[in-house]
Amino acid sequence: MVARKRLRWVGLVLIALGVSFAIAFPDSARQAATLPLLASFSLGRMAAAYLLALVFAIAYGTTMALSKRAAVVMLPLLDVLQSVPILGFFPAALVFFVATFQGHPAGLEIAVIFLIFTSMAWNMAFGVYESITTIPKDLEDAARVFALGDWLRFRRLVFPAMVPKLVYNSMLSWSNGWFFLVASEIFTAFGATYARPGLGAFIADRGDAGDVAGILIGVGVLAAVVLTLDALIWRPLSIWSERFRIDTTGTGQPVPRVSGVYERLAWLPRFTRLRQWLGSRVRPLMERYSRLATRFDRATSAHRQVMRAIRWIDLGMFLAIFVVVVGSGLAGLSTLLLKPLPAAAYTIPEATLRSFSRLALAYAVSLAWTIPAAVVIARNPRASRVLTPVIEVSASIPATALLPLILGFAIAIAPSQGTGTELAAFLIALFAMQWYLLFNLIAGVRAIPGDLDEAARAFGLRGLAYWRRLLVPAMIPSLLTGSITAWGAGWNALVVSEYIRFGGVRPYTVTGLGSLIDIATFDVPDSEVLLLSILTMVLVVLAMNKLLWRPLFKRAIKRYRLEG
Amino acid sequence: MAAPFLEVKHVSKSYFEAGKEFKVLETVGFELAERDFVCIVGPSGCGKSTLLRIIVGLDTPTAGSVRFEGKPLVPENPQVAMVFQSFALFPWLTVEQNVELGLEARHDPPERRHAQARKFIDAVGLAGFENAFPRELSGGMKQRVGIARALAVEPLLLCMDEPFSSLDALTAQSLRDEILQLWSTPDLPPKAVLMVTHSIEEAVYMADRVIVLSNRPGRVVAELEIDLPRPRNRKEPEFFGWVDEIYSLIV
Repeated sequence: MVARKRLRWVGLVLIALGVSFAIAFPDSARQAATLPLLASFSLGRMAAAYLLALVFAIAYGTTMALSKRAAVVMLPLLDVLQSVPILGFFPAALVFFVATFQGHPAGLEIAVIFLIFTSMAWNMAFGVYESITTIPKDLEDAARVFALGDWLRFRRLVFPAMVPKLVYNSMLSWSNGWFFLVASEIFTAFGATYARPGLGAFIADRGDAGDVAGILIGVGVLAAVVLTLDALIWRPLSIWSERFRIDTTGTGQPVPRVSGVYERLAWLPRFTRLRQWLGSRVRPLMERYSRLATRFDRATSAHRQVMRAIRWIDLGMFLAIFVVVVGSGLAGLSTLLLKPLPAAAYTIPEATLRSFSRLALAYAVSLAWTIPAAVVIARNPRASRVLTPVIEVSASIPATALLPLILGFAIAIAPSQGTGTELAAFLIALFAMQWYLLFNLIAGVRAIPGDLDEAARAFGLRGLAYWRRLLVPAMIPSLLTGSITAWGAGWNALVVSEYIRFGGVRPYTVTGLGSLIDIATFDVPDSEVLLLSILTMVLVVLAMNKLLWRPLFKRAIKRYRLEG
Repeated sequence: MAAPFLEVKHVSKSYFEAGKEFKVLETVGFELAERDFVCIVGPSGCGKSTLLRIIVGLDTPTAGSVRFEGKPLVPENPQVAMVFQSFALFPWLTVEQNVELGLEARHDPPERRHAQARKFIDAVGLAGFENAFPRELSGGMKQRVGIARALAVEPLLLCMDEPFSSLDALTAQSLRDEILQLWSTPDLPPKAVLMVTHSIEEAVYMADRVIVLSNRPGRVVAELEIDLPRPRNRKEPEFFGWVDEIYSLIV
């Protein structure tokens, strides 16, 4: 009840703010009138990329899980793709698509969708693979004993089993996607600016014009879109996905029905008549569908071959693409390494070190504030009530959308432009990293079982001892999960944080791997430096994942996991 | 003479690990006739569950064969259904959807599926729980769903793998009685029941015939006709006599 009232108040305040904004800044308001359209363009791109990613993830993950032979190639490939900072390839890919379509808008559109796709697909594919391979054996047996055909088995066993991880990873993918969308809707190369109408382009354009009100409106609309999607799609979906969790231990626990989630929106008009009318229309369709599905099942012999054919065509397609990409990459690399290194290549070690320290600093700052914040939010209901909406709104804004604001702020408070740019680069990295840590940590603290907490208190654990013996150990697994994601986001952010182009002739740059990549793509096209920089970034990230995070994570899971 | 209902002939099963052979079953053979309720008992690890898996087609024997009504057993035989120790219910399907699983696989039209599912949900006493999810049920109710799911496909042979071991003692006993009750109803489908258990008392309580397997590798030590009248009383000396005899065979 309280939450609903509060929500209504927040809505009213937002509307009031919007109206006063429109009166105070009529020009920006006129601009803002086009925003719903722009937002729908951006949303359309996201949806297209997400659908592609979803189909890809299910096809790739299923194939990998079903065929051990395919998994030998596909699993390590996915592992690399997942850990590689995609944004490193981003400038090159944009230029590639634009050049291929000779600047035609369609090329740009495809480029943007492709890039968002690459930021969404890998973790989802991994989720699918993990879910299928962890289906309990007795369910597999039951499916075989009751002679489920391929399609029915997929509908009743395989797909439901992947729902929880698919939903969780979809949420992650969408927030990755927004980050990339904003970065890719507008960019400058070869002295020309390419843009597709959308929220990201709008914000960047307002930034160029120095129109703070416009930026704020754009960011606000973006946040509103993200939050609305979250409330209407992802929350209900993630509650619904609870039903698909496999735990055979539970008895007598109620399974959440989706309708409960919409109760919170009970104040919205319900359109009962319309819904009944629709229902009476849809029900026969559903019945017809289930009949069709049955008939489809019955045509197993033909259908089994078709399914297999689709799987193989799919696999073949992706393998072909990967072979071409990897092959040409290797060929390029070998010719590159045979030649003497270009002069700029010698700056790579220093750039790497600088980028790394920037990220490490942002990580340290994130840790310093998120750990206490997470404990307070998870433990104190009042703090949680007040802070959760604030944090959710802030986290819904992708760091890339804040670019103009952060840059403006950093330059305003810094003594010189150099330190200002450096500060901006750090702040963007911070914004890209901190939320992953915070949300994972909150979940970690909330997952501490009540009896453990009571036991700790009963034995008089207080203050430092309480932190040392209960909180910190309980947080470690989620801290590591958050750290892995945060560092991944941080590496991705480098390409946009170290090289910021606004209005003026000269971009704001600091020394680093990200700016090396950007400069070698946009300013002084140099494929050798570009390739070497990307390669360095990939190697550093892979090394960190393999040598630092994975071993740590394995140990943490063994020691600190809070399950029986 | 007609072929036996179920014929298990010289079935052996070995696993190979690092070049070493682990024998699980060695030349196991027995027959099942119609209207047989047979229990397989043996010490844990004697391969009795493996034997059941081979009979329903989930596993293949290293040697030997399983023939069902004279024909070699095809994997996923629709005339054989199974009840699992762990219930093996699909957590995301309602009780009714779980029960309909095998019917759906058989491409029954929806109306028939619903009618059939309701009939067997009623039969196991779960009327009113059609739309509940397995997670919302107690262990005993879950296993009732498992039994309804197996009966709904109207199998000729019903196989049960330790169906009561995950239940508490009281629930298990009442479910045993219900199974026997269902078994004595003549119009219910299965022509024979084959049940694996580690509990000798359970076997003597339920079965017409008990097949005793030895320690690994499992061999048939004895086949005993339990001629006690039904309903059986666990307190009678004859009952104890059978339990003691099987106990001495296993140890």
